[in-house]
Amino acid sequence: MDGFGGTILRINLETGDIERTATPPDLARGWMGARGFIAKTLYDEVPRDADPLGPDNLFIMAPGVITGSFAPCGSKIGFGCISPATNGHADSNMGGMLGAEVKYAGYDMVIFERVSAEPVYLVIDDENVEIRPAGDYWGMGSLDLEKRMKEDLGEDFQIATIGPAGENGVVFSCITHDFGRQAGRCGVGAVMGSKKVKAIAVRGTRSLPVRDLPALTKSTYDIIQRTKTHPLMEPWQKYGTALFVGWANEHGCFPTKNFQTTFHEHWESISGERLAEEVLVTHKACFGCWMNCGKYSVAKIPGKPDTYVEGPEYETIALCGGSCGMKDIHHVAYANWLCDNLGLDTMSAGNTIGFAMECYEKGIITKEDLDGHELKWGDIDDFENVVRMIAERRGIGEALSYGTKGAAERLGRGTLAFASQAKGMEFSGYDTRWYWAQLLSYCTADIGAHHNRSWAITADVQIGQDTWKGKAPVVIYLQHIRPLFDTWCCCRLFWGELDVTPEEHVDTIHHLTGWDVTMEECMLVSEKIWNLTRAHYLERNGGPGRKFDVAPARHLDEPIPDGPAEGHKVGRENFERMLDDYYYNRGWDHEGHPTREVLDILGLPDVADNLESVGLLGEPIEGGVPKVRGERLKPKAM
Amino acid sequence: MTIYLRSGGKLKAHLKPDVDQYTRRLVVDGNPTLREILDDLGIPHAYVAFAFAGGTFRRLDYRPSDGETITLQPPVSGG
Repeated sequence: MDGFGGTILRINLETGDIERTATPPDLARGWMGARGFIAKTLYDEVPRDADPLGPDNLFIMAPGVITGSFAPCGSKIGFGCISPATNGHADSNMGGMLGAEVKYAGYDMVIFERVSAEPVYLVIDDENVEIRPAGDYWGMGSLDLEKRMKEDLGEDFQIATIGPAGENGVVFSCITHDFGRQAGRCGVGAVMGSKKVKAIAVRGTRSLPVRDLPALTKSTYDIIQRTKTHPLMEPWQKYGTALFVGWANEHGCFPTKNFQTTFHEHWESISGERLAEEVLVTHKACFGCWMNCGKYSVAKIPGKPDTYVEGPEYETIALCGGSCGMKDIHHVAYANWLCDNLGLDTMSAGNTIGFAMECYEKGIITKEDLDGHELKWGDIDDFENVVRMIAERRGIGEALSYGTKGAAERLGRGTLAFASQAKGMEFSGYDTRWYWAQLLSYCTADIGAHHNRSWAITADVQIGQDTWKGKAPVVIYLQHIRPLFDTWCCCRLFWGELDVTPEEHVDTIHHLTGWDVTMEECMLVSEKIWNLTRAHYLERNGGPGRKFDVAPARHLDEPIPDGPAEGHKVGRENFERMLDDYYYNRGWDHEGHPTREVLDILGLPDVADNLESVGLLGEPIEGGVPKVRGERLKPKAM
Repeated sequence: MTIYLRSGGKLKAHLKPDVDQYTRRLVVDGNPTLREILDDLGIPHAYVAFAFAGGTFRRLDYRPSDGETITLQPPVSGG
């Protein structure tokens, strides 16, 4: 099958059995890889009452249809499971080199079942697959381990690892690869750790079958020539995503001191410009990319060894930086390294530690809870102490290891009101009180609050802030187009920043596979996946769906106290109106349940039957579901 | 004096390029700031994350020189 590796690998960690099956063509065309493969497999195979950290959960690694081609950005690989943070579908992807290597080894999906009795790591060397004991590796930091495994196995293996946090089941543990690329969100590292899988090492030396290589070569060459001279290439190469720090502060969405406010008075000291001036060592790229948006830095802090890290990116600067009150880019880089080596998502870690800092400020967490340490805003030593406690689930770190929602539930005392999360996953680096579409994005996302599902900040600016009207269709469009890149499994930056159109990616898929595929079809696949993961979430968590699409009290009720966005908040009534509009435009009922009509349109009648059997099928919408779907839903505002 | 503004992505449509697909040539009076130039073009400041000229970051209070090319970076789409 052109464009695909051709094989699905299934690893039973309990028995050691390794099964290979051919990738079904209808799976490939119908679900397109990565997020799609993960969603379909989890829905079909994981029992609805499976404990995310128990043996019945699956842990899946899957590249997408574009991964491994030399077309733009074909670098990514997805990981999926039922999330221990949200108890719903999870997929998280990373760049680097691993995705291409998995494809070249001949695999489209690797499914880990059950739990190993002892720590292990998986070695994939083309058709040779082995489960090996990982006793010597267990307990090592992610970055330390990758270095060690390169020495043990050879430089031509691509390695993905978890750190101690994943071994210990911290719900925001990540998977690290290429010394700084992460599948960060949803706690995928915790599920990998729950199965006692410490690392995955892959070497692939086969060719990827391509239907029309001359056409693929020409279209890729054209894109290379165009983007090399694109005006935005140079600033991207110089600053990476950190270039956004100034704008976020000046326009009132930079999370500061646990989202207490949105303007950090010391933002310039942790900005992209400061990164370039003080810590940057070199730039770094993923497979098949010439943007080099990755930044490799060195943190130099008196009393600590010089520490090399990939980053910090905007999200890490926002959440380990602004939300923790940091004032020094070296401290942010060091915090980045701590999270990476411990195996923690910097976004959820920074958000959770900022939350803990506010709890300390309020006297809810004390020095006694922190083994005699303090937890002051902007203090890197305090940050280091608590992040290690979290990774080890020691003392107060045990409560914090559940993320902000889980910690708030354990601490009580009104702390849930200032936990910036949705469905148990922490907000990424944007305050939403002046960006209502972004709040809607966070609260309706299937995996919890993640901007990658829908980044609606500029939509708020274009449509108008302080209004709920017109926001829902934009969010829905973004929730289809952005996760499409997680399905194709390629980086979306060339589309988002360098004017490479999604239609050009569709052409790439056509040249790779020979499919007569259209943008409309791809958008419907993305919408189908969205509805499937919604149904899965409802079947696992019960209803009504509306009770899960809730916003944190801080973002609804507390006006921003100062700065450029002073006075703004969303308000409960406005949020509920946006949610009503969102459900209607999705073809869901008032409780947020997909209707049979929309599921039939998307080719999911069996899912409708399943929802009906548990009383969660949406009530028919008077007048029928909106007829505008997929690409045609793209609002004029975009 | 003459300056050249370049951009891409969502900002390109507002810039109305006339030199190539990314670049707009402007003749301006006096020595305005980038902020003032954006106001004259009707481009909201919020649409510009920052400016880039001479290989480095510039704020909107920067005053371009005659013949200078300024890249306008829109807010990035998350990262």
